[in-house]
Amino acid sequence: MSDSTVLAPSVGPAGASVLSPAGAAARRARQARTRRRLAVVGLVLLAAIGYLVYKVLTSALVYFETASEAVAHRAELGNSTFQIEGVVVPGSIRQERPGGTGALGHAPAGEPPADLRFIIRSGSVEVGVLDTGAPPQLFQADVPVVLVGHFLGSTDSFSASQILVKHSNAYIAAHPGRVKGPTGKVVR
Amino acid sequence: MSPGAGPGGGRGTAVLRVLGLLGLVGVVATVWLGLWVTPPDRFMGNLVRLLYLHPAIAWVMYIAYGIAFLSSLLYLWPRTRALAWDRLAGASSEVGVVFTGLTLVTGSIWGRPTWGVWWTWDPLLTTTALLFVLYLGYLAVRQIPGEREARARRSAIAALVAFVDVPIVYFSVLWWRSLHQPPTVDDPVTGKTYVHGSMAWTLLLSFVALTLVYAWLLAHRYRLAALADLEEGEGLELAIAERRAEAGGVPARGEEPAGADLVGAAAGVPDPGARGPGAGR
Repeated sequence: MSDSTVLAPSVGPAGASVLSPAGAAARRARQARTRRRLAVVGLVLLAAIGYLVYKVLTSALVYFETASEAVAHRAELGNSTFQIEGVVVPGSIRQERPGGTGALGHAPAGEPPADLRFIIRSGSVEVGVLDTGAPPQLFQADVPVVLVGHFLGSTDSFSASQILVKHSNAYIAAHPGRVKGPTGKVVR
Repeated sequence: MSPGAGPGGGRGTAVLRVLGLLGLVGVVATVWLGLWVTPPDRFMGNLVRLLYLHPAIAWVMYIAYGIAFLSSLLYLWPRTRALAWDRLAGASSEVGVVFTGLTLVTGSIWGRPTWGVWWTWDPLLTTTALLFVLYLGYLAVRQIPGEREARARRSAIAALVAFVDVPIVYFSVLWWRSLHQPPTVDDPVTGKTYVHGSMAWTLLLSFVALTLVYAWLLAHRYRLAALADLEEGEGLELAIAERRAEAGGVPARGEEPAGADLVGAAAGVPDPGARGPGAGR
């Protein structure tokens, strides 16, 4: 189409007089259409960015509630599924497997993981947890965890289907005093 | 043009080869220090060894998009407008997309044993996934056909839009609650780095090594983009010359050098041969 408008003058006096105004009008219409489309795309983009900023300002993007917040919002949360965060209270971890010792460990092959009970704390609030899934390998006392699950019945106990272990941004050598000797053995 | 000659030709310059070699040495040294020399972490044990890969990859992702952003700005700014900036933005974004993919993959591999999940819709992870898709979209925009300058302009605008997410990714762990920990190097809240002795040096080396790898990849990708632009331009001239030849038959004697220059060896070589030993016989 654009070729015909470019070539129009060379077609001849009659061709030029007929084609040029029509071509110019079509081009103007096309430009207006392009501008309209660009305006729509720009508006959508602005709306998306605006929505994001709004989300930031209202802090609506909450990945988890701390245990104390969750207990405070107990009535609103009901039995809905959400993420709760707290530090595993030392000495509170119990694993109940028939005939088991109660120590933390992975279930033998073929058996479902045993129920795991522990307490998480945030501030002065403690929440008892019953976990039915397998804990991750780094799960231990005194680490912050995020649990996926819901409050049990009308109690303040939490039923977790998944444990996520948080870790800090500090990296410290396990045995900073140890170095390897010339034989490759660890010497103190 | 012989291989290796000129800025756009062959396999690149000696400087580039040295850069690539330094990057390779840095990566090998990082692997050696990271896997054999550094100690296990007090909490994570041997899982800590991904520390020497994942943060450095994410760092390259940030600088790649940063350079794409700056060069797109320089293209849009009338005083500095040059296609070179467009090529640099395209090359840097392409490397950035590769490193964003690697960030997601290495993060997922690290997340499974430490957090317990391959993926969670944590703000940092979500915004990083968005970043990956945004810059894939940018690379797609670059491929939309059109006049060279128009393509460069719309690509530059797309690069500015996509970059909006970059600071959001970086600050997501501070703005929102996150499973992911804050940055290890230069924690924005405390300004400190909490990494022990040799682990810190290895982490630093990994940043240097992968930055060199980035620079090497960027230079080669840029060179390729420059060659593609050159081919596009010469291809057009060649096509014009062919159409001229079709329309006007054999060009006048005086015009021949221009045509011979474009066709290159194919048209130029037989001539000296005919005039050389053959003429003497």
